[in-house]
Formats: sequence, C-alpha cells, structure tokens
Amino acid sequence: MVTVTVPLLSMGMSEGKIVEWFAENGSVVAEGQPLYAMEFEKSVMDIESPAAGTLTHKAEVGTTLPVGAEVAEITP
Amino acid sequence: MNQPARNTGNARSAAASSIADVPLMEIYRHQSRISAVDIAIRQGISGGKFQFNYWPMTGQENIPAALAPNLTKNDYLVTTYRGVHDHIAKGVPLRGLFAEALGRAVGLNKGKGGTAHLTDPGTGSMLTTAIVGSGAPIANGLALAAKFRGTDRVSVVSFGDGATSIGAVHEALNLAGAWKLPVVFLLQNNGIGEYTLVPGYTATRQFVDRAVGYGIKGIRVDGNDPVAMYRAAKDAVDTCRSGNGPVFLEAVTTRLGAHYGVAPTNHLPKEQLDAAKAAEPISRTRRLIIENAIATAEQLDAIDAESKADVQEAITWALAQEPTEVNETFKDVYTDSTTFPDPASKRPAVASETGAEGPTAVMSMAEAICSAQDVAMAANREVIVLGEDVGDPPGGVYLTQKGLQAKYGADRILPTPIAETAIIGAGIGAALAGMRPICEIMFSDFLGVCIDQIANHAAKQRYMSGGKSHVPMTIRVMGGPNPFGGNGAQHSQSLESWLLHIPGLKVIYPSTAREAKGLLASCILDDDPTVFLESCKLMHTNKGQVPLGDFRIPLGVADVKRKGKDLSVITYGWQVHEALAAAETLAAEGIDVEVVDLRSLLPLDYQTVFESVRKTRRALVLHAATRFCGFGAEIASTIAEVMHGELKGPVRRMGGEFTPIAFAKALEAVQMPRAAAVTDAMRQIMTRGDR
Repeated sequence: MVTVTVPLLSMGMSEGKIVEWFAENGSVVAEGQPLYAMEFEKSVMDIESPAAGTLTHKAEVGTTLPVGAEVAEITP
Repeated sequence: MNQPARNTGNARSAAASSIADVPLMEIYRHQSRISAVDIAIRQGISGGKFQFNYWPMTGQENIPAALAPNLTKNDYLVTTYRGVHDHIAKGVPLRGLFAEALGRAVGLNKGKGGTAHLTDPGTGSMLTTAIVGSGAPIANGLALAAKFRGTDRVSVVSFGDGATSIGAVHEALNLAGAWKLPVVFLLQNNGIGEYTLVPGYTATRQFVDRAVGYGIKGIRVDGNDPVAMYRAAKDAVDTCRSGNGPVFLEAVTTRLGAHYGVAPTNHLPKEQLDAAKAAEPISRTRRLIIENAIATAEQLDAIDAESKADVQEAITWALAQEPTEVNETFKDVYTDSTTFPDPASKRPAVASETGAEGPTAVMSMAEAICSAQDVAMAANREVIVLGEDVGDPPGGVYLTQKGLQAKYGADRILPTPIAETAIIGAGIGAALAGMRPICEIMFSDFLGVCIDQIANHAAKQRYMSGGKSHVPMTIRVMGGPNPFGGNGAQHSQSLESWLLHIPGLKVIYPSTAREAKGLLASCILDDDPTVFLESCKLMHTNKGQVPLGDFRIPLGVADVKRKGKDLSVITYGWQVHEALAAAETLAAEGIDVEVVDLRSLLPLDYQTVFESVRKTRRALVLHAATRFCGFGAEIASTIAEVMHGELKGPVRRMGGEFTPIAFAKALEAVQMPRAAAVTDAMRQIMTRGDR
C-alpha cells in the first residue's frame, strides 16, 4: 500500500488545499495519472499518482492539509 | 557517437554535411537521460513518492549534453546545486545519484551530501557547492594540479548567471587569467538569479563582455542550440587543453522550472516563458536529427524509452536501499575519529616527536616555518605554496618563504593576486586532486574574506562526500599583535574561535620556533585541512635551536612548558610567554605555577590539561583572543564539568577585552593580557582563599 501525502512543492510552502479529485474514490489508477488538484501559494497544480492501484480518498475537496499529511491510499 | 554525414544527393545533404562534425546522437542521448531524470524527480516529488530538495534544471539540458562529447572522465567538473544535469552528462551513475538524493547508505556520498553536494571522483565530478559562485576558485585548483602535472586535463566549472555577481567568481576569473589555467568557466545564463531577473541585479549587457576585463577568451553561444553549443564547448575545451586557457563560455538558455521545488512558479514574464518553451532544446535537437536523416523519430523515441527505463530502474533500486544509519554521524569528519574534542578521549595516542636527533641551528620562528616548508617541498614535489608575496623577493612578508622560490621554482612557490578566496579555493582544488598545498593568509583578520572556502568547502568536503574525497591542505595564518603594537583593529586579532567552531578543521597554534617547525611539518603531511596560526609577535623575536631535518611533532599533544604545583595556566601562542614571565615573578613570591601550552587546539589534548589541574587544583585559562565566547570558555567549562569536586576554586578565564584593538599603543597594551596583568590574576587566584 502506498500513502499519498501532501508534497513539498516549493520552499515557501507549508500547506495545500485540495480543490478537485480527478480520480474517483475506489477507482483504479495508473502511476503518473493526475489524482487531484492542489492549491498552494495562490496557484493550482495537478498532482500525479505515485503508484498504480486502487485509490482510497483520505481527504475531501476543500480541505487544507499540512505538507506530509495523508491525502489518499493506493492499494496495488 | 559521431554520425557520418549522409550523402543522399538531396537538399538535405548540404545541411547534413555542414553539421557532420557534431555528434548529435550522443548529444541527444545525454539530453534524453537528463530529461528523464528531471521528469522523474519532479513527478516523484509532486506525487509524494519521495521528498528531497531539488532545484530544477528544466530547459538547460543541452548545455552539459553538448559539452559532454568534448570531455573525458579525466576532466574535472565542479558544479552547483542545480547541476544534476551536469553530473548525468559527466557520467555519474544513476543508481548512486538517486540513492544519494534519497539519503541512502549506498548513495554516492553515503547520503551525507545530497544532490547539492554530490561528489564522484571516478567520473571526474569533483565537487558540488550549494554556495553560489564558490566552485569557481576550486576549479582553478584542480586546473592548477592538471597543469602542474603536465596532463591535458581540463577543469570545467558550471555556474548560473546569479553567480556572476559574487566575489568568488571574479577572484577566480582573475587568477585563472593570470596563471593561464585550463579552466572553462561555463556560465549557464538562464536569465534569472533564483527569483531576480536580469537586469535587476546587473548593468552588464552581456556577461561574456567580462572576459575582456580579465584578459581571457570569451565565447557567447545559444545554449539551447546543440550544434552551436557543441562547437563553442569544443572551442573552449580545446583552447584549454592546448594550454591557451582559461575560457569564459556564456551559454544562453532559460530556466523553465522554479528556482526550487516543482511548483509551476517561474517568475519570468509570460511572453518570455512562452518563447523560451518554444525554443526548448530537446525538441529542437530532435527536429535537427530527423530533418537531416540522422535518425528517425521512432529511433529517438526508443532512446527516450531506454532513458526512462534506466531512470525508473535506478529509482526503484534506490528506494529499496537502507537509509543511512545514525552510526554514520561521526564518520568522515576527520581522518581519525580521535580528533573529536572529547574530554573522555585518551589522547594523545601518539606522543613522540620524530627527527629531533641530528644537527640543529638557531632559527627564528619565521626561519623555522621556512625550514619546515623547505623539508616538505624537498620530500614531495606536490607540496606547493600559494600566497601573497611568497615569491623571492621578498619571500613572504614575514620572510617565511625566503629563498624557496629560487630553490624550487615559480611553479611551486606561487605568488598570488591579493584575493584570499582565490588562494584558498585554489588550494582546495589542488588538494582534491591529491596535491599538498600550503596556503598563506597574511593576517588572520583576512580570514573573513575567505571563510566560506575554509568553512563550507575545505572543512566539510570529507563529510559531504561521505569520505570519497578530502582536502589535505595547510592554511598558514599570521595573527595577533606585532611586537611593536600599532597594527590596529584589522591586523591584530586572534580569531581561533571562528575556526574552532567548524567541524572538519584542525587548528594549531605554536609558541616557539622549534615547535612551529615540528607542528607545521605534521600539518603538511596531515590528510585533513589544518589551520596553522602564527603569532606575529613571535615571528622574528622567538629564537631557538631547531632540528634541520625532517622534524615532526604530532598534532594534538600539549606541552608542559613549566612545571608547578600551585596553579595551572592553560594557554597557547604568544600568551605562553606572558604566562611564563608571570610565573617567574610569582616564583620569587613562593607561588609555583605550571604552564600548559596546548600547541594544538584541535585535536585537543584534554588529558594533559586534566593531569595538570588534578595536581594543582587551580586553573587559569589564558588567551589573547576576546575572552567573551573565546576558546577559554570551552576549556574552563570542561574543566569545571569534569573536575568540579577536585577544584579549590572556580576556573578563571583571561582574554582580550571586548573591544576592537586600538591603534594607540597605550590602549593596545591593556586590551590583551600581558605578563603584569597575568601576574595579578594569578596572585588573586592564590589569595582568594581555597574552599
């Protein structure tokens, strides 16, 4: 199982907000597939899946999470 | 790989033959590999697969790719934290690189350096600095070694346009020009210094114009054009290889990513960024290859697939490796783990002098220092001296090289520009190449000019490289007041505490001519960077019998200069003589003082200190350096911690007053401890009553 966490994308970043899930809860995702969009430092970035498997959301749209917090799990 | 021109008789053949000299397929392979690494890192970080510090070089792939066919692994590369592309093109193995980036024990540098401090001597990647511009002086030293040894090796230092503002780069360009060193100063001008754009930080219209000012060859090229970049790099490398260097090579490009991290924040104006994306080098190279029928799109795709697979394999492998363990913490700081300032350590491990037998002569400290260098230079051709005015005449401002240039030649006694960063950087580079440089800093007060080279590079390279390389250099520094006073606030200081705060350095401070010779000889032979502090006050006034031959005193062994039973004075350098004079005065009063001369501040001989204080049960720590936050505080508190119950009273410290040193002699005389004041302090300790 792979834990998807809020990445550290820039030096000034401390938290990010999930603005959209591209991959539905319970769907099968491929590595590199866009999973969700995250807003930080007034910009939005698509975050790609670090692994392939079944996706379980661990955070909802609109949630702001600190860097390193769990966003999802991927079960191969 | 060189592709032959295809003579197909069509319109393309003219174009193809006009670029027949350019190994486009080899360049493309490098680009492809660099790009695969860049993409994999950005994806891995943004997806949360792994996290490490990354400064993207996206858009700059062609520069090292087109340089690479002109270099071999014997050529030296010094690069910067954004230089992952430089390393890949130089041939640094992907597995080791990713394991390093991920902090794994099997990383190229045991996970102690990371990509910002990568070192891989096997492929010629000699040093990576995270201090903007600091690689340039070091590249000079590598080139100096290459030239000195008569090889045709070239030293390439890669840096960004942001680094063109900093002094280290200017000092390095000037020295390389003066000494005609085989260095390619590769400026990857990506148009933005971290977050600040040209012309926000410079009025220079074209960076290459600066070459004129240094009297060296300058080349400016479109760094995104594989043909032009290859030819410019070839010109630069060939110029250096044939002994006509250095060359300042400005490769113009655009950084398409952020300064740091993988967020889409670039700070370039949108139009500029869009134009730069359109001029991106990899698709340009692809087009050129396909248009000239050198390879098909499918063949290029196959190369990309192979690059991607290699990178994925390396990442998967690296992620499966064990992280660097905590037991690595204290390894690779010094050659020898007993160098640590540990009160429990049983130093000295080796106490005996060697070479003391045989003929001696009366020498001043300056003559003894000259003699130590003379003996070392006679024994090893790769011992060289760099410093201001070290040539004959005058043979050093304190005559510490008198006659050596005449004896050993101008390629071994190297008078430098007045540029301490260039001096120390050249020493570091030569030491990385395996030479034994001795660098002279005329006055300790000038350490501030070059402390980055000493503290961030000489001291840390062994650790940052996980023991893959080290810096066996000696830095001689004259300091403290001169015998007549009046050197003022910027030529009289005692700054050993600055140096003692930096893990990786050894710091030596002799008090007599004889010991200066023996200790300096050991410094020159030591595998760690040593700073050898000399008291201006003693250079010509302290004289004694000094062995003429290969005389050595091991580092880290204190010397009891006067035995006594009532009070221990722990001191070093010229203050030893103040303590001895005070002790003689007190002897007449029936007080028996023991004077411990540390000689070596790091490694530090705690055991001799403890033995002395255990006997006398009273201690005074004495130095000329400012008492506040001085080395004496460290010694005093350690004595107190270790021997609290055995002391008759608190450990007393004496040091310089917390003022700049005055020009007026009357003031200077009371700013640092002198024999009369030391005598008073000793008397107070003896009369305040024991507990």
